Amino acid sequence: MTGETGLGMVAADAAAIPLAARTRGLRKVYRGTVAVDHVDLDVPMGAVLGMLGPNGSGKTTTIRMLLGLVMPTAGEVELLGHRLPDGAAAALPEVGALVESPGFHSFLSGRENLLRLAAAEPHLHSGRIPAAVSESLERVGLTGAANRRYKGYSLGMKQRLGLAAALLVPRRFVILDEPTNGLDPAGTREVRSVIADLHAAGTTVLVSSHLLAEVEATCTHVAVLNQGTVVAQGELAELLDSGNAGLLITTPEITLAVDALRDNRIPARAVPDGVRADLTATTAPAVVETLVRAGVPVHEVRRDRTGLEDLFARLTEDGAAAEAAEFDLALPIPEEAR
Amino acid sequence: MDRKRTALTVAAAGTATGVVGLILLATPAGAGEQPPALPEISPEALVESVIKTEKIPAMSGAVEFTSDLGIPVPGLPQAGSGGEAAHVYTDGEGRARVSISQGGSERTIVHDGTTTWMWNSADRSVQKMVSGEHEKKTAEHKLADPATAAREFIGLMGKDSTITVDGTARVADRPVYQLVLTPKPTERTLLREVRVAVDSETRLPLRLEVLANGQAEPALRIGFTDFETGAQDASLFTYTPPAGAKVTESKPGDHKPSEAELKEKQNLFESIDGKTVGEGWDTVLVGKVPAELLTGEVKSGERGTTDPSRLLKQFGKEVSGPFGTGYVISSKVGTLLVTADGRAALGAVPQQVLVDALGAK
Amino acid sequence: MTAMTLGEIQRPDARRAPLGRLLRSELRMVLRRPRTLILVGLLALVPVIAGIGIWIAADASANSGNSVDEGLAGLVDGNGLLLPVFALVIGLNMLLPLTGAMLAADALAGEAASGTMRTLLLAPVSRSRLLAVKAFGVATVTLFVVALMAFTGTIAGVILLGGDGMMTMSGTTLPLGEALGRILLTVLLVTVQVWALAAVALAVSAWTEHPLIVVVVALGVVILSGVLSAIPALDWLDPVLMTTSWMGIPEVIRDPLPTGTLTEGVLRAACYIVIGYSLALSRMLSRDG
Repeated sequence: MTGETGLGMVAADAAAIPLAARTRGLRKVYRGTVAVDHVDLDVPMGAVLGMLGPNGSGKTTTIRMLLGLVMPTAGEVELLGHRLPDGAAAALPEVGALVESPGFHSFLSGRENLLRLAAAEPHLHSGRIPAAVSESLERVGLTGAANRRYKGYSLGMKQRLGLAAALLVPRRFVILDEPTNGLDPAGTREVRSVIADLHAAGTTVLVSSHLLAEVEATCTHVAVLNQGTVVAQGELAELLDSGNAGLLITTPEITLAVDALRDNRIPARAVPDGVRADLTATTAPAVVETLVRAGVPVHEVRRDRTGLEDLFARLTEDGAAAEAAEFDLALPIPEEAR
Repeated sequence: MDRKRTALTVAAAGTATGVVGLILLATPAGAGEQPPALPEISPEALVESVIKTEKIPAMSGAVEFTSDLGIPVPGLPQAGSGGEAAHVYTDGEGRARVSISQGGSERTIVHDGTTTWMWNSADRSVQKMVSGEHEKKTAEHKLADPATAAREFIGLMGKDSTITVDGTARVADRPVYQLVLTPKPTERTLLREVRVAVDSETRLPLRLEVLANGQAEPALRIGFTDFETGAQDASLFTYTPPAGAKVTESKPGDHKPSEAELKEKQNLFESIDGKTVGEGWDTVLVGKVPAELLTGEVKSGERGTTDPSRLLKQFGKEVSGPFGTGYVISSKVGTLLVTADGRAALGAVPQQVLVDALGAK
Repeated sequence: MTAMTLGEIQRPDARRAPLGRLLRSELRMVLRRPRTLILVGLLALVPVIAGIGIWIAADASANSGNSVDEGLAGLVDGNGLLLPVFALVIGLNMLLPLTGAMLAADALAGEAASGTMRTLLLAPVSRSRLLAVKAFGVATVTLFVVALMAFTGTIAGVILLGGDGMMTMSGTTLPLGEALGRILLTVLLVTVQVWALAAVALAVSAWTEHPLIVVVVALGVVILSGVLSAIPALDWLDPVLMTTSWMGIPEVIRDPLPTGTLTEGVLRAACYIVIGYSLALSRMLSRDG
């Protein structure tokens, strides 16, 4: 019943990939404003899908419809094989979610807040509640602050508690809307490790984010939203390959390097600290071998990290949107705060 | 979407149920029903059966009083806010209990056969009268008993009236005959007619309505809103004054007014202690008004009472005539004339009849 | 952060959390909210303060020899078992409706504003179930507050004002057992009336995310029906106004008990409860989480 079988099936038959979530023709109109339109989203079982998009692109609205919180104006949603909204009772117990800013009672402690949510969890046996809550707090590193009032929590602690609530029970599908919002670098790393653990256990994960690096580091799949529609989706590797993959080589002998690569029919050009080699027709080891043979001193070789950013910029059509996403790195703003 | 339709259905069904419930609560029982079919009866036979029925059977009933006189009248019970104005119980053997609620206070009158107890919650007083017949019934007490009030009225007015039976109706969910008394043309009165609803079974008047000239709605209405015959709990007709109540004892003849009744004395209507002039519809009550009432010397600081002299000036019109000068207060059903020298005349008549009555003195 | 293991699921086929567990959790939460606690404390003090006030006033009037007082207040002196009834009637003027409105406001609008309603919906708790749980919370806490007022009122009344049995407004004396029965009846009647207002408030609460709006609208309903019932020309409206039932509550200390008026009050409240809850349910089913 878990994602492990799902993963196996992905490999076995790509034509009929089991999906953790699927939307068709999703449309939502808020008082005359179209928030989301024609969204056909597929979340493969066992995948870690990163949902990207500039602010106001419809990420949160899509997630809210995926969870049955918001009724779509048109279109259909399938969650773990159950049609929403009727199948919500069957699907939601197996789904953990952190949507928008975490919602807790400020006058209760973190533990009490979780106890309250645990009481509402269909899959949790009453006798298991205290243990499940403690484990969940432990998992997000809040054990020390568990008995403090939520009111006194920092933004990061609130976010962690939200994560703890989403992971109160083992889930088949976990949806995290901006999980690293407000977290310090250490917290961000921990979230990444949680996502990796979930992935390893076969859980399907959907992460919405505007932090491209985070998506690139943790996701197997990507869906890019812009202006309320999905402009691209698929496996991360495939999408990146469709873009312009490259290798950045730091070297003092820039001219020598460019010449050596071009002699071997590898497109290359000079960049500030070295050379950028195009990987469309070759592989990284081939590039390095060519340079070493030509006697070029190679100080550092790395993948051109701008791949997803380029892709994102191209898909969202205007560079300003990508810049806005970049800007959010420094100033996290809760998306689509309604 | 399906859920939206469900939501609308739920809202519509629930709201409709609640609103219908509220409307049913607001609809008096029996409204809109066909008048009951009862055997024909001649007015004479009906009147006779009413006057003969002196004995009230064991019953309990709620009485409501409404008035639309055009001016506030102190001393008359107002319609209770959202409730009955009075509740009457009798055992058919002469024992009775009457509860009258007035604003936040209540009066209970219990007649246990030999003793009459009158409780007033406003000052926690109990007045005890050892006598089979207590002569001094208060105005409220009389009004609280529509059966007696209507029967007395029919007896008094019968010969000066044209009496008809105007079909049937339902009062307090019981089938009744509508007996209508219209003043004979020679009567000089403000009233157009008096309607008495007579219970078809017990022949007790269940409701009395007084209609003034030119008014569609009754100016006065007193009647049962609930009426049930049957044996009553005997404990209703015994009374033990509560601890801490002021109990005053009096025998008929040396009527000692209680504190609350003293207060009541300031009410103009109660203070006119006099005789009647004329008979029938144009009967006029003529008497003397205690002088201190007119000069306003009586302290009227207490809540719930009205200074009569101020009331006269507020609602009255200054008039003069053969009686000297004075004030006249007109309402839809009656007129009151108070002269400067302390004489007063009251009746359900135009002002001129009062002037004549005073002049006849 | 440790990886989670599958197989911890205890009730894998359950689609709903046990109702009793939800209700307990709701009550625990409501009774820990500081706002609720402050209001509960204040309301519990109302009968005590009223009792002390009457006690002092009685002393003063005993000196001046004048104790004529209209209505309920005048009967309470030396008649301590009436104090809880008096306090509840006073409370129904403003404080109890305010409590009902505030509880209803926090129940849905407050939870929507803080985002806690969303987390519950995701657990998942179905929308109709969530409304039922919330309605239960409001109703239970209301009953608790009213019963608490009656309790402190009875204690304060017996200690401060004394009295043997209960002297009714009709001038009869009820023995202790029957007097306590009347107090209990008052508790139930007052609770039902507060439920009616809370149901209307809950309907408003389902429509908004601003708890203050709920309180304002609910108190507006109370004030408006008070004004309407005070206008003689609109007397025909009285039977449908919520406050009509409230004004009938003091009837409970008449003897014999005027069951007609009191039953009518309960029925009227029931109508408002049906209207309020159906509107609230309707909105809960269609609102965005």
